[in-house]
Amino acid sequence: MEKRTLRKILSFLLAVAMLLALAACGGGNDTPSSGGNNSSNGGGNNSSNGGGGNNDETPSAPIVVTMGRQTTANPKFPDGDNYENNAYTRMAEAELNIDIVDEFEAENGEDYNRQVSLILSGGGMPAMMKVSSKDEVTELYESGMIADLTDVYNQYASDYVKGIYDSFEGRALDRVTYDGKIVAIPATASDAGTSMCWIRQDWVDTLGLTVDEDGDRCLTTDEVKAIAKAFKEGNPEGVDNPVGMAFDSALTAGSSEGTNMINAFAYAKGAYPRLWYYNDNGEMTYGSTTPEMKEALRLVRDWYNEGIIDSQLGTRTWDDITSLLTNGQCGMVFGAWHVADWLLNNVYSLNNNAVFTPYAVIDENGKVNCTHANATGEYVVVNADFEHPELAIEILNLFYDDMVNSQELLDKYPDVNTYLNTGVDGTARPFNIEVKSNTYLLDEYACLKAALEGTGTKEEIPTAEERSNYDSITAYNEGSGDVTGWCKIHSRCKGVDLLAYLTDNNLYNWISPVYPETTETMNTRWSNLQTLEEETFIKIVTGATDLDSGFDEFVSNWKSQGGDTITAEVAEQFPQ
Amino acid sequence: MIDKGVGPTIRKVIIYAIVIFLGLICLLPLINIVAISFSGSAAVAANRVGLVPVDFTTTAYNRILEDNQFWRSFMISAVRVALQLVLNLVLIIPTAYVMTKNRREFRARDIYMNLLIFAMLFNGGMIPTYIVVRNLGLLNTIWALILPGALPIFNVILMMNFFRSQPKALEEAAVIDGASPLQVLLRILVPCAKPSIATVSLFSIVGSWNDFFSGLIYMQHVEDYPIMTYIQSLSIDLAELVKSATSSTLENLTELSNRNLNAAKIVVAVIPLLIIYPFLQKYLISGMTVGSVKE
Repeated sequence: MEKRTLRKILSFLLAVAMLLALAACGGGNDTPSSGGNNSSNGGGNNSSNGGGGNNDETPSAPIVVTMGRQTTANPKFPDGDNYENNAYTRMAEAELNIDIVDEFEAENGEDYNRQVSLILSGGGMPAMMKVSSKDEVTELYESGMIADLTDVYNQYASDYVKGIYDSFEGRALDRVTYDGKIVAIPATASDAGTSMCWIRQDWVDTLGLTVDEDGDRCLTTDEVKAIAKAFKEGNPEGVDNPVGMAFDSALTAGSSEGTNMINAFAYAKGAYPRLWYYNDNGEMTYGSTTPEMKEALRLVRDWYNEGIIDSQLGTRTWDDITSLLTNGQCGMVFGAWHVADWLLNNVYSLNNNAVFTPYAVIDENGKVNCTHANATGEYVVVNADFEHPELAIEILNLFYDDMVNSQELLDKYPDVNTYLNTGVDGTARPFNIEVKSNTYLLDEYACLKAALEGTGTKEEIPTAEERSNYDSITAYNEGSGDVTGWCKIHSRCKGVDLLAYLTDNNLYNWISPVYPETTETMNTRWSNLQTLEEETFIKIVTGATDLDSGFDEFVSNWKSQGGDTITAEVAEQFPQ
Repeated sequence: MIDKGVGPTIRKVIIYAIVIFLGLICLLPLINIVAISFSGSAAVAANRVGLVPVDFTTTAYNRILEDNQFWRSFMISAVRVALQLVLNLVLIIPTAYVMTKNRREFRARDIYMNLLIFAMLFNGGMIPTYIVVRNLGLLNTIWALILPGALPIFNVILMMNFFRSQPKALEEAAVIDGASPLQVLLRILVPCAKPSIATVSLFSIVGSWNDFFSGLIYMQHVEDYPIMTYIQSLSIDLAELVKSATSSTLENLTELSNRNLNAAKIVVAVIPLLIIYPFLQKYLISGMTVGSVKE
């Protein structure tokens, strides 16, 4: 009796479960699940059919290209467009007779990397996808999953594209060349330039200070200190708790332009924190452990003791530092040429009188020390089973040559032109990478400057972005008061202009660090070493640890806890 | 009376003070978010907003109304919560009932119970689970969000303990009157179990509404994101991004990092839960006190 009822209940449950399962297959979602199946079997299958069709049937059967796409939170698509179907993908589909299908999309950073790992863990890989570390390229190459692009690159890449890569003097292509084979399309990253010291010009005028007496647009560390002190004591906006300068708790960044970091001072002392390079004696060195770094910390610690540096150093977030600036508590910030576009704009929104002037910080020889950026940190790889690897190069040509250089193409696809002018994010392009020459920033700025000064015309400016900057700047100069115009004047006519000035006057002293792949020991030790470094530096600056003994102890701990092994491993990756 | 009353009054004051203090700790951040959502973005960037909006504006809410993705995600989450709730209850209640039987009535009971507990304590981890979901063809479907959590075992145990606390006589009487086990469950036990069902429902609703991680893993297209995954994707760590993003991307992002817009999205996303809570709360409290009144 009981058994029978039990059976009834069980069968009832089963029935319910099955009903639900059926509903799942039927009503739920037909397209994505079947689409997922197709594409996970690799674009290869689909495309081989498409390719075959090309030869004997009609030329119109488009080749399916499955992709992994990296997205951003604010792409600014017009209504109805999305990552899979937008002006850029439509142009690529029409020009190259392909059909772009997104196998997966995910946000910049962690989320995207996780999707890549998940896809690979299942053994599938889209026809093309972006990966964000050289480690992944190496791994994919070694497991034979990605295609050799050497031949298609040599055969299909346009001269312009080849010229871009050549402008890095091998630093870009070398990184994706394994056993003499090019296995990925590298994104390029041009040198970011120095970490500028942005100073509130209106405060300088109010307080009647003299900044940069010799007019070389460079300041010594002492001059920077004097200004910060004058700002703090003068308190031109009459606020509570004025602050001389404020920094992020990480203190240093592994790239020259480090925003909200002490990089400018470290570099002025000849220390290159968080970077690997061969020092003058030919030894592989980690910049944070050098005696120069100690001197940089000494400088910052002294300023902290004198109250010039934010007394809450170590607890402030970026948002807090931004609010110090917008509230008029702080009139000095350090960062790249483009901070005006996305950080200083907040200051202007709240206070239309705000004007900044950027300066470079020089070392005792009067030079601005700067490190070359990692020429490429992102890559597009092509599935080894995908039968049309040349399409990757054709997409590359289309977006990084034709779209930049051919006005006819833009006239043919007015949507694309609209995208460029309304600032739809670059992630909308099939490959979310930048491929620009190492000097594009200065080259484009030269044209912009010529147009603004009347020696050139707007039409001669090569890129849509700079043309729209030209419009904003002109409108601002005519009195629009618009925040965009204000930002572009600061980032271009002041920021990039300073970079151009430093280059033209030979004020740079370039250092070429190496950018290693994650080494074996790094896997287990690196995060601890980073924590050790950050904690020690903050403690030293705030006086919780003595500078001399504390720094020496840090160096010896760092070395014994795996630093020495890692240094050797890095040296092995980059034989001198 | 007065002499007696002083001690308890002081005690009451202290207890109330503590409770109010704890309540404020929970409430103030929420009020702050609401205040930020109604403030001008410049005031927010300057950290000037406390508990009262500064430069009152509803711009953020107007923009949400225009944000198609937000509402699409909102609907996805609503559908998901409804489906998951129904599925959870349909599975939890019978499972819990069967598990109240002793070994004489249901011989394999202990095996099943151990299986359940084992599955509660250990799981395959993210990647194996992902592969299973993918091989079942569930990726990018709403079922990928629902089926992996179809039977929350913790809730089964909660429900089971409730059924056990019911007088055995109730069930026996029904059986003598000729009720089948299914009838016993549906006619006798379920009506008695309203408080527990409400509790379990609340867990299910809150859990599935707030879950962002499964959306992040199983949904490969932004359009399919449930609401919390979408909101999560909007929170931006500039310090991290500056390392990798291009200047134009940074510009687009800071436009969005105006925190009042994000705050408004959080407020809108929280409203459904705020509406549901008071209705279920009264059951939640009785669900906890029911056990105290015993024969």
